Amino acid sequence: MSAKTILYVEDNEFNRKIVRDLLARTSYRLVEATDGEAGVTMALQESPNLILMDIQLPKISGLDATRRLRADPRTAQVPIIAITSYALSGDDQKALDAGASAYLAKPYSPRELLDLIRKLAPES
Amino acid sequence: MPPQAASHPENGAVPAPAPHLGWGEGLARFLLTRSPLGLVVRWFASVPGSVHAKLLCGFMLITLVLIAMGATGLQIIAKMSRQSQLMHQAHDRGTWSLQMEHAFAMQMNFTSLALILKDEATIARILRENNRFNNTMARIEEASPPEERELIQRIRTAQEEAMTTVADIANLVRDGRLDEATKLQVAKEYPLYVQIEALINQVVKIEQDKMDGLRRSVAAENQRALILMGGFVVASIGLALLLGFVISWSFILPVREAQGFLGRVATGDFGARIAVPNRDEFGVLADHLNRMSRELQRLHEDQRAAARELTTLNEKLKRASMAKSEFLASMSHELRTPMNAILGFTELMLDGIYGEIPPSLKGPLTDVQANGKHLLRLINEVLDLSKIEAGRMELSLGEYSARDVVETVTASLRSLAAEKGLEFSARVPEDIPPAVGDAKRITQCLMNLAGNALKFTKEGRVEIGVEPKGNTLLYRVSDTGIGIPQDQIGRLFEEFRQLDATVAHEFGGTGLGLSITKKFVELHGGRVWAESQVGKGSTFFFSIPLRVDKGRPT
Repeated sequence: MSAKTILYVEDNEFNRKIVRDLLARTSYRLVEATDGEAGVTMALQESPNLILMDIQLPKISGLDATRRLRADPRTAQVPIIAITSYALSGDDQKALDAGASAYLAKPYSPRELLDLIRKLAPES
Repeated sequence: MPPQAASHPENGAVPAPAPHLGWGEGLARFLLTRSPLGLVVRWFASVPGSVHAKLLCGFMLITLVLIAMGATGLQIIAKMSRQSQLMHQAHDRGTWSLQMEHAFAMQMNFTSLALILKDEATIARILRENNRFNNTMARIEEASPPEERELIQRIRTAQEEAMTTVADIANLVRDGRLDEATKLQVAKEYPLYVQIEALINQVVKIEQDKMDGLRRSVAAENQRALILMGGFVVASIGLALLLGFVISWSFILPVREAQGFLGRVATGDFGARIAVPNRDEFGVLADHLNRMSRELQRLHEDQRAAARELTTLNEKLKRASMAKSEFLASMSHELRTPMNAILGFTELMLDGIYGEIPPSLKGPLTDVQANGKHLLRLINEVLDLSKIEAGRMELSLGEYSARDVVETVTASLRSLAAEKGLEFSARVPEDIPPAVGDAKRITQCLMNLAGNALKFTKEGRVEIGVEPKGNTLLYRVSDTGIGIPQDQIGRLFEEFRQLDATVAHEFGGTGLGLSITKKFVELHGGRVWAESQVGKGSTFFFSIPLRVDKGRPT
């Protein structure tokens, strides 16, 4: 069985690097997008097994991108982990309402993120 | 006359609630608008003078008419009385004349009787009748009118002649010369009688003519008096009605105007103006009303301007508040993103993702991680407080277990207590009921208090607990720390307050924890307080309603 693909949509280079480094020692294949629109395009292109979606993104927000992915039958079932900002009240609920499978508040612990990824898309 | 004088009372923009419109009202309106009376009323209103003077003039005018009527009546009565007196006089003179005639006839009769009876008694009766004639004659002569004087003179002459004749006849009778006496009577006395009768009849005729004249004059006078009095009555009634109408309407019209005007003002038309032709108290009243209206309009405009300003200000404040919220949201994200990188990379390094780290770096990396977490907590507190201040903090209510809250806090702080060598315990009764509230925030509150207690306690113990009390849950954190002076307990929960700078230096912290705790507790409708003794320790309490219905925005 081939390696599982994870899509990370995040505009900050350093945060992308953390996940890149975190997953380097695992079997997951990581693909990256830097804004909501590119995220949606890449999700349809790469058919990832799991998507990490930052909520505040350029062009279209993570919430809108999530809604679009949920509306498309090709990505409707893919687990999506929303990365929320703590100070925006109700962000967690908004993310779940938009269709996210789980959420993680920034700043997250890489260890916890890996646990969550493994839970939603176990390594083959 | 001012131009508005042509308007009638009903043409105000908003008619006053019309009083009962009976036929009298309809007639008055007809007279005011379709007859010259309207002009008279407005002219009268425009006459400068007080209401009192105008009323007095009206009453005086009617009184003068009544006085004239009385005087004329008296004059007529005096004239009638004089005519009546003249009538009586004429009547008396007629009666007297007839008495004279009667006396003379009796004289003639007794003369004839004397010729038959030939006695002295009858002759004496002749003389008596003669005297009666003379007496009556004297009354007629007295105050006789000039036209009768000549007649009366002739009667007297004839009478004197008749008297002489009668005396002759009497002597002849006494002498027994009856034939001569009879001849004398026939030849002389009888013609004298006829003559006197004719003269008396003339006098009677004159008096009767006079009476007829008087009678006609009295009838004519009566007629005239009737017409005059009727005229006066009609004139005085007409004048009274006219004055009553003019005076009353010259007062009612401005009152009606004022009524309509006040009605318009009452409905908020402060630009309303009142115009009346009156130059009396009502005119003054209208001027005052106009001034009042102008003043009200000015105040109204001021107030509206102020309201507009407030609305603008409010809009500005709303926009500012929105901007602040947006700024907070964006700041939260902007601050958190680098924090995520700092804490993330540190954790990856400590976890050996980048290979085994030299033991000498383990300490400094752990310090970086601890300080990063501390910085993150500070950021969170500042943002929380800002959100509360902006009124943007909302509770997310749900069912929760107070036991879980206490256990979460205990688990988080157990290692810190162990490091400081403090005894750290939790006490939760078995039968604690499930509650409704924002568990995350309540946990944050208890965490703040317990963290503080551990921070400010050098030795001894810290105990946290919760127990139901009535409709609330009472959370409690007690320590054996440095304690708080009594006079400063009240100020503990103010923002940025720590007991003194050295405390901040020694123990760290933003000084925001307590004020955030207070605000979260109050959002739940609860209360927070502390009891303390310096050197012995403190106990912090906060109560949260068992079931919170709706968060109270600060």
